[in-house]
Amino acid sequence: MTEKISSPGARTRVRMIKFAAGVGLAMVLNTAAAHHSFAIFDAKKSVTLHGVVKQFLWTNPHVFIQLMADGEAGAAATEWSIEMSSPEHLVRAGWKPGTLKSGDPVTLVIHPVRNGIKGGQFVSRIAADGTQIDLPSTTQAPESK
Amino acid sequence: MTAPAVLVKAALMGCALLLTVTATGEAATPAEERAHAFERLPNWTGQWEIVGVTPDAQGGYVQSLDEVVKEMRKWGPPPYKPDVKAAFEKTAAEVKRRSDAAANGTDAPTPGLRPACSFGVPMLMLFSPLMFEVLTTPEETAMIFSGREIRHIYTDGRPHTAKEDLWPTSWGDSIGHWEGQTLVIDTIEVSNPPGLGGGGPVIIAGGGDNDAVALVAALSPDVHFIERIRMVDPNHLEDRMTIIDPKSFTAPWHISRQYSRVTRIHRMVHEDCEGEERNPVVGGRFTIAPPPKQ
Repeated sequence: MTEKISSPGARTRVRMIKFAAGVGLAMVLNTAAAHHSFAIFDAKKSVTLHGVVKQFLWTNPHVFIQLMADGEAGAAATEWSIEMSSPEHLVRAGWKPGTLKSGDPVTLVIHPVRNGIKGGQFVSRIAADGTQIDLPSTTQAPESK
Repeated sequence: MTAPAVLVKAALMGCALLLTVTATGEAATPAEERAHAFERLPNWTGQWEIVGVTPDAQGGYVQSLDEVVKEMRKWGPPPYKPDVKAAFEKTAAEVKRRSDAAANGTDAPTPGLRPACSFGVPMLMLFSPLMFEVLTTPEETAMIFSGREIRHIYTDGRPHTAKEDLWPTSWGDSIGHWEGQTLVIDTIEVSNPPGLGGGGPVIIAGGGDNDAVALVAALSPDVHFIERIRMVDPNHLEDRMTIIDPKSFTAPWHISRQYSRVTRIHRMVHEDCEGEERNPVVGGRFTIAPPPKQ
């Protein structure tokens, strides 16, 4: 079952710019994890998905959670592709290839893909006690000297 | 450092080597002398990341765009010449326009898109999500970044590579020397793929919501970087960078960043831009492709 929830503090997303050779001003906005712009996701919308992990794909250049999300009002579960950052970034954020396993029940908050397909960007997990975990690092203060 | 100065320095180092004696009064062997040289070097082993740019599971970072820009301009804005400043501001406005369009979901991939695993100098040191290691030897310091980029900083007293043997690269030509525990790096011949501004490297800040980025400086191919890297405390390094670009600036521009130890992993893990891409472009927009068949 899906439901829209409020989106307090839309998360920070850092994009890198690379330049298309020979195109002068033409440039592309890429994620810092490289590859493409995350503008495919609607950061102004957040959706909560309850379901079961079908696969946790620890792959380059992006990690994906294949989630069988509960259907509404008893409808059949549907598969969603939840995109995360790269393995290199995820391990620095405390994730491991075995953090999620097939069959794990999970509740995820995502930013949905703009074009309406069943996909989205990982925002956070909701633990059994209802607290959000794995939140974006924007919620933490940078440590500097 | 000029070539004659380097030769004088090398000669003095040679004399010092000849005069080095062991505790027993015998001249030190080359191996012993090198071991002593190692003892004088700081230990910067481990993994480092730019403070405020610790990645999260979502692909974002701690600092907002405004915070990154503010920190980059801590020592003042780029001291552009008036005519260069006008051109820069026009380019920066175009970057902002595109950044805003991306944030609104109205951007489209540009032909020629290529993976952004390569950041080059000075972005690797100023705004990059990549962690890195610093390996110091008496002759060379190597900085190894998780995008598989490497900076080679030769500290054996050599001058810059001769002009006829040099061409612009994303990392430039770097030589260095130690002033106590501070590594001083001198880098020239830095370029980026053709893009913005004066044809040389650019400095871009990211952060904020969505795809917000800002062009902080666009430099000429003649730009010259001098960095002073030191350990501030056991868990922080600092790079104080002076950017000398007489074609663009009226005076050297100073900028600095700090790096903290990566805390959740204690080995190098590299980005892999060559993996299977599940974000194809369909109808001018990126989308998500189904997972590969098992």
